[in-house]
Amino acid sequence: MEFTNEKCGAFLVLVISGRMDTLTAREFDAEADKWIKAGEKRLVLDLAQLAYISSAGLRSILAAAKQLKAVGGDLAFCGLSGLVAEVFTVSGFAKLLPVFATREEALARA
Amino acid sequence: MSRLEKLTQGLAFRLSAWTLTAAGLVFVLMSAATYLMAREALLKNAEANARTLAQAIVMRIEARLAPISRVPQGVAYELEDGELSGEPAIFKRQRRVLADNEEIFGMAVAFEPDGSGDQQYAPYTFRSPLGPKTTHLGGPGYRYHNMDWYQIPRELGRMVWSEPYFDEGGGGVLMATCSVPFFTGGDANGTLRHGEDRRVAGVVTADVSLEWLTRLVASVRVLDTGYASLISRNGTYLTHPKSGVAFNETIFSRAEEHDDARLREIGRDMLRGGSRFIPYTSRHTGKPGFLTYMPLPTMGWSLAVFSPRDELLADVQRQALVTAALGGGGFLLLAALIGLLARTVTRPLGRLAAAACEVAGGNLEARLPETASRDEVGELTASFAHMQTSLRDYIRDLTQATASRERMESELRIAHDIQMGILPKLFPPLPDRHEIDLYASLSPAREVGGDFYDFFPVGRDQFCFLVGDVSGKGVPAAFYMAVAKTLLKSVAESAAGAGQRRTDDRGGERAVAAAETAAAAPPRRGPEPARILGRVNDDLAKDNDSCMFVTIFCAVLDMNTGELRFASAGHNPPLILRRGAAPEYLPAPGDPVAGALPGVTYTSGALTLASGDAILLYTDGVTEAMNPAQELLGEPRLLELAAGADGLDARGLCERLAEGVQAFAAGADQSDDITLLVLRFRGADGTTPDDTPAA
Repeated sequence: MEFTNEKCGAFLVLVISGRMDTLTAREFDAEADKWIKAGEKRLVLDLAQLAYISSAGLRSILAAAKQLKAVGGDLAFCGLSGLVAEVFTVSGFAKLLPVFATREEALARA
Repeated sequence: MSRLEKLTQGLAFRLSAWTLTAAGLVFVLMSAATYLMAREALLKNAEANARTLAQAIVMRIEARLAPISRVPQGVAYELEDGELSGEPAIFKRQRRVLADNEEIFGMAVAFEPDGSGDQQYAPYTFRSPLGPKTTHLGGPGYRYHNMDWYQIPRELGRMVWSEPYFDEGGGGVLMATCSVPFFTGGDANGTLRHGEDRRVAGVVTADVSLEWLTRLVASVRVLDTGYASLISRNGTYLTHPKSGVAFNETIFSRAEEHDDARLREIGRDMLRGGSRFIPYTSRHTGKPGFLTYMPLPTMGWSLAVFSPRDELLADVQRQALVTAALGGGGFLLLAALIGLLARTVTRPLGRLAAAACEVAGGNLEARLPETASRDEVGELTASFAHMQTSLRDYIRDLTQATASRERMESELRIAHDIQMGILPKLFPPLPDRHEIDLYASLSPAREVGGDFYDFFPVGRDQFCFLVGDVSGKGVPAAFYMAVAKTLLKSVAESAAGAGQRRTDDRGGERAVAAAETAAAAPPRRGPEPARILGRVNDDLAKDNDSCMFVTIFCAVLDMNTGELRFASAGHNPPLILRRGAAPEYLPAPGDPVAGALPGVTYTSGALTLASGDAILLYTDGVTEAMNPAQELLGEPRLLELAAGADGLDARGLCERLAEGVQAFAAGADQSDDITLLVLRFRGADGTTPDDTPAA
């Protein structure tokens, strides 16, 4: 899994590419932890390059969301498509956490 | 393998064999080289030696002949000087010659005959058994003037040796005659006085016995079977090792007889006075060898010496044999030593190999051979001992690890039994209620898993059934599963109880209004699935550090009306199997999984089942079952598998679906728990149109 990041105002956009499964989920844990410890509060995950996500990946995302909530921040998503979008829908994560169609929409929030 | 095979494959043998082969080769090469060089050197010497021998013989012969030829020459000079006049003087002189020279058999002084040649005067003294005897040569039958011994020296004007001959008169002795002419006129130097002629006045002859010659030449030792042979001026053999050849054959006649052109050539060269050393095969002995020949100047004869090659080389060959014998002996000794040495080296290896074999066979306590040496074998033994210890330790650790793993596995098996034990397995669940036909099956991927199902009555006519799937696998999911299942049942039953109480409470109020609006009385309702899920979600979400969650599909069936109320927390959409119609998926509301975040409101759904309709709940272990080609079973295939199930009861359908999934997986490993729950509504009266008429 690979991460690239971009600071856009108050938001930190993290582009994730590859697969998030049992083996790679901990890489996301470490990456999110790093940014949260660095003081970032508003994270936007751009999942356009993510090919696959399993329940282990969902757990990692949930953990990151709870961590951000605890420091008064939030976690949002954009660029979902294909299998990843389906998983978000079926698991109801799309209703739990804010999901936007495009990055611009995600960044347009207050 | 046979003993011989074992031996020849052994290190000791190979070591020895190669070393000996190399040593043997070196020895053979050296011997051959030495022999060849010695032989070459020897053959070079052979020529010199043969020449020396021949020369020695020649000189010996010459030494005896030369003085003899001087005798008649001396007498000739005396005659010329007029020192011998008159017969008595001549006889006296002749007698003295005989006395002084034992080889001279007779001496004649033959004077030139006068005019007609009748006047022959040749006083002759010769040896006889009784002493010297004198006579006169010449007579009617013996005109010496024409004889070779007189004519030739007379014509040539110098000393001439005759061809050897046998003197019949003297008893068959081999003789040659030395003839020296003497002259009148002129002085000793032949210088003529003015007007004088130098004429032959006569010839002095000395008959020389050559017996000593034959003996001398015959006695010459040339190696073993070598020999010397003498030929005269015209090629006649004077001596020859083969008896009967001497004086009977010439070198040319022999060459002719054997058709040997080479021999003829040799003969010619010898008579020319040639002196050579040539390779030659002896006609006499048949052996190959070398021929040396050289002339005897005095007589015009030629001496040939034959040296057989093999005898020449005898020394070299003897030396070669000795070398070979020594080498052979040494070689054998070397073989023995090398064999011994190799064995000394490889014996410890052999012992180590045997010990290693024992260890490999399983005896880790086998003792390795003691070795004090610090060479490679010693190192190997030390390494091996170290390996043996490591192996022992490793096996001990492995045994311990296996024991603890087995302990854990047995605990897991017990856990599996406990987990399976908490799932309801009584089918039918309500034996005396025929409105429902229900069956469920769960096959975990590992000993313990996260899938579960449950069903239980919640009120007199309400029946709750559900299916759940905890995120993850193994022991953590199993814990969560136990908590979630227990929580769901307890929340559902308590909601049912509260609803019952609520209904009962209103009963008093309603009794007043009953007469007014009987139809307005609210019907008894079971617990609301959406509310059950909401409460369970809140309970699970608090204190959920592990961030695990569970998907649930929960439904409550009114067994009188067939009304089904349901809610889903992120779970797979169930299949509705209406009687007489194709199976359809129930649309999913998209509500979140339970246990993630608190405060979720779940959507309520409802539908009515007719008699004969069925509903199938399952987990993603079914739709995500994978075959060896890495294809997922998928929702469309599940739809196919469930089609045409009208005639089947719940159990039959469950089993058919389970078999279908297994057939699809075709032996690939099961990666997730597979859970199936089928409920068929049989109507309030407990019959469906598909039933066969009761007998």
